[in-house]
Formats: sequence, C-alpha cells, structure tokens
Amino acid sequence: MISVKNLSKHFRNETAIDYKDIIFEDGKSYMLLGASGCGKSTLLNMIAGILSPESGEIEIDGVEMSSKSQKEKDKFRIEKIGYIFQDFKLIPEMSVIDNINILNLEGVDTSGADEFLEKLEILDKKNKKVKNLSGGERQRVAIVRAIVKKPDIILADEPTGNLNFAIGEQVIKELVEISKGKTLIAVTHDERLAKYFDCVIDMNEMTGGRRDV
Amino acid sequence: MFKFALKNMAIKKIQIILVVISVVISAGVAILAFNVASQIDDGISSNAGYYSLIIGPAGSNTDLAMNSMYFTGNPTETIPYSYIDTLYKDTNVKRVIPLAIGGGTYKNQYKVVGTSSDLFASNEFASGDIFNDNTDCQVVVGYTVAQRNNLKVGDKIKIGHGTEDHGHDLEVVGILEQTYSSYDNIVFTQVKTLWHLHEHEGEEHENHNVYAFLVNTKNLTGASVLVNKLNNTVITDEHGTEYPIQAIEPMNIVRGVLDDLGDTKYITFVLCGIILAMNILIISIITLLNMYNSKKEIALMRLIGISMKKINLLYIIQNSIIGIISTILAFGASRLCLLFMSDYVQGMGVVLNYGKIYGLEFVILLGVFIITVLPTIICTYSMARKDSLEQ
Repeated sequence: MISVKNLSKHFRNETAIDYKDIIFEDGKSYMLLGASGCGKSTLLNMIAGILSPESGEIEIDGVEMSSKSQKEKDKFRIEKIGYIFQDFKLIPEMSVIDNINILNLEGVDTSGADEFLEKLEILDKKNKKVKNLSGGERQRVAIVRAIVKKPDIILADEPTGNLNFAIGEQVIKELVEISKGKTLIAVTHDERLAKYFDCVIDMNEMTGGRRDV
Repeated sequence: MFKFALKNMAIKKIQIILVVISVVISAGVAILAFNVASQIDDGISSNAGYYSLIIGPAGSNTDLAMNSMYFTGNPTETIPYSYIDTLYKDTNVKRVIPLAIGGGTYKNQYKVVGTSSDLFASNEFASGDIFNDNTDCQVVVGYTVAQRNNLKVGDKIKIGHGTEDHGHDLEVVGILEQTYSSYDNIVFTQVKTLWHLHEHEGEEHENHNVYAFLVNTKNLTGASVLVNKLNNTVITDEHGTEYPIQAIEPMNIVRGVLDDLGDTKYITFVLCGIILAMNILIISIITLLNMYNSKKEIALMRLIGISMKKINLLYIIQNSIIGIISTILAFGASRLCLLFMSDYVQGMGVVLNYGKIYGLEFVILLGVFIITVLPTIICTYSMARKDSLEQ
C-alpha cells in the first residue's frame, strides 16, 4: 500500500504543490487525471524516490520514503518499481534487448524479456535499434523494461502522450492487462482511457494546482 | 557489466577510434624514439670494447672508428698489409686483425669485408665454422645476410661492384649467430680473397693494402703507449710508398660519438614529451566531451535505478578497455616501425632488434594507460559528488 500524507513539493522555492492525502491499495490500477502542472508526474517521481518532498510523507508498505538515503531509494526503485517514462528513456542507438538488459548492471534478472516482448507483439524487433522503431513500439519496449523485473508497483507517466488515440488505447489495454495483480499508477490527461482502470483520481482536486511560495 | 560496456562502446565507435588513434600515435612515437635511441647507444657501445686500438690511414679518427667497427662508410684510403709484421714485433701487441673494406658488395647490398679468422674469436656460429686463413674463396656471412638470401653452408655466392654480381664463386663456410650488430649485414672473407677479386676485375692491387688493423694489446697501458708512438707517423711499403697513419683507442672515440648523439637523444626525448603532453590534453578533452555527451545516458540510467557506483564502474571499464587496447596497439606499432627502420639504421652500423624491450617502455605505456583512464575517473568522481536526480 502506498500512502501519501500532507505532501508538499517546492519548485526552485518559487512555486509549490500541496497534496491532499491519498492511498493507493495493492493490486489496483489507478489513473491520475488532471491539467498540466497540477502535480501528477511530480507525485510519481516522489513515489519512485526520484524527487524528495519538502514536507509530508510517502509510506510504501509501511516504510517512509524520505527516511531512505539516495542509495536506498535507488535500490528500492530498481527492485520494487517499474517506471514507464513519458519520453521512454531508452538509448536510441542500442537494440531493444540491450535497452532491457541495461538492468543487468544492477543484477536484475531480465530472462523473461522475450515472454513480455511476445505478449506486446514486438519480439521480432528484439534486436532492432530503438531509433528505428515507431513511437508505439518504443512505448512497448519501455513497458517491457519496466515490468520485466516483476515489480510490485508500476508507475507510468503519460504512457500514451506520444501516441495517437488508437495506439495509445491499445498500449493502455496491454499495460493494464500485463500489470494485473500489481499496483499500477498511470498519469494521463485523456479521460477516454478511464474505463480501463480500477480507480480514477482527479489530481486537480487533490492538489489545487501550483501556488506561489 | 563488461559485456554491456562493450555494447555501449560499440555505439560510440567513432569517438573511441579517434581516442585510440591519438593514444597509439603518441605512445608509439614516444616508445619508438626511446627504444631506437637506446639500441643505438647500446649497439655503438657494445662493439667499442672489443679492441684496444685501431690503426688506419691518417684522417678523421671518428671515420676510422665507425668504418672499422660498424662498417658505416666506403673508405678509399689504405695502409700496407705488410705492416702487420711490424706490429706483431711490438711487445705490447697481443693480436692484430686486418680489415680490408670497399671490396664490393654481395647482391649490391651487403658489404664484403676482408679479414682474418681471429675476428670471430668471440662469435658464435649458427651453422658452419670460421673460414680457413690459408685458403681462399671462402666466406662467413652475417645472420641477416643468410636469412634474407636463404644461404646455407656450402652455397656459392658471387661478389660484385655494380648491379650485377660476378667474379669468382665464393663458398659459404659459416653463418654467424645473430649479433644485432653490424656483423649481421656483412659478408666476411679472407683478405687475400678480396685482393684476388679486385685483380680479377683488372684493378691494380700489387700493394696488397688493407683499410685498418684492429689491435688487442696485452694491457691497457700498452694501448696508450702505442697510440702515442704511432699517431701521426708515416710508414712505407716494400715499394717505398709512404702512408701517414693514425692510431686510436675506440672507446674514447665512441664516447665522443655518444656525447654528440646524447644531444640529439635529448632533443628527441623533449619532442616526445611535448607530443605526449599534447596528447594528454587531447585525450582529456575527448574524454570530457564524451562524458558530457554521456550525461543524458547517465541521467537515464540513474532514473531507472542504476546506482552511480555502477555507472562509474561502467565508464571506468570502458576507458580501461580503450587504454589497454591503445597501449597494446602502441607497443605493436612501435615494434612494427622498429622492423621497418632496421634497414635504415643499418647504415649507422646498428641492427635494431624489434624484440628488445627496455623497462622504461613499460613505464611510458603505464603512464599512457593512466592518462587514458584518469580523466574518466575524475569526471565520474565529480559527477558522483554532485549526483542529484532532482536536476
């Protein structure tokens, strides 16, 4: 379970976002909806340990994230979290499989990559360089890299942001399907995709947007 | 980690090839210059100690030393061979070895030197043996001459003056072991064989002259006594022809030559130092640019959870691979150059041994390796200190 309490994040000491308390239950899929700048991606980054809040708590399975050192956060992220970034965060000159196997650097077992690539119908692109793939294919590679390590939590930041609706919808269906039994938190601004998730959270209501510090 | 490092290097092959070329050139030139200078030093010094005295025609004492020990020139001045009897009468003299030079070439490339079997007193033979002083038309060939011309004991060779070899057939009776000295490139024969060859070609050689005598004295004092006694004297042959002569102590002359070479060596080392310094700068700049270009890649790895420690290790492995490949190639390139330079340096009477390695070469290579890896260590260390995902 992920519990967010009295969370506040400052940006260069100019603006800040204050979050209402939120609880994400284990094994459920959540869609975070909201306008740009309302704090959706920031929340994902704080859950992943990439950003640190100025105040408040993020508790994951009873462990307070801000009490962890950067090293511990890194370890937590590599072991427990699968993060799908909006801009994929893939190395374009490397092949699909090498982009997944990059996790081997931290001793992550990626032997199940083929199975996931097959599920997402890109197994035949396994040895192709990422720069030669379409946007939809790149998104699928990013999904496989996030889930291959079998994380407890999957965070997806605008996974359909670079795709047209048809492909985006397909990717979301696949993502939800593949994440069954895990906690999935996906940020998107497209309400049409809400039907695929267990819960939809309107982040505009949860934060009220940015305020001046 | 190693496998991923190789894959990551493969996507940056152009930058990596540039770094490798840059390191290979600078390190290769540095160790080549050092090796050649050292081998020339060693080669010149090693021959100088064999004889206490050289007696030859008056003129440049350096020419006499270089022509007699390293066969560098084509001297035309001579002294009468009959003077050997006078020398042997001197109580200070232990052994006298005649040298007749300028008597043609084998295959228009290898000098033919007339001498006596005493010259080979300290030489080992790869096959065959010393020629017999009492016969003629026999030759002992240097190791390189035999190797390059596929000569065996019992083969017949012809000696000539021009582009074609003609005259008598000379029999190979011995092949010297490799000495890495001028001897490797020389065809030795009896002095009288050389005279016969000239007579066969219609030249006047009734005087039966030689270029010089290599003399071993019974002790060091004997050499000094003879130098004082013989220098600037004039000897006459049986026809009354006068020959001004000089006597030199080869060690003293060689010391002078090495002093002169020392300046050149110093300049070479300074130039190598400048090349190396320039390359430290180039390697550092290329590494820094590479690291700058890799910032995005590093940020990506950090975001997906790869620790800074692993990232540092990855880049250090990559640059270590570049360093190892570069230093091995630099070493190989220097040996290849030594092989090709050997013929060129032969004119100085030194044979370069491409298998000869000096300890300082490894120090240079180690230095180059450190130079290749150090900027990465500094960069990654600095990145690790500033590590912040918030950026």
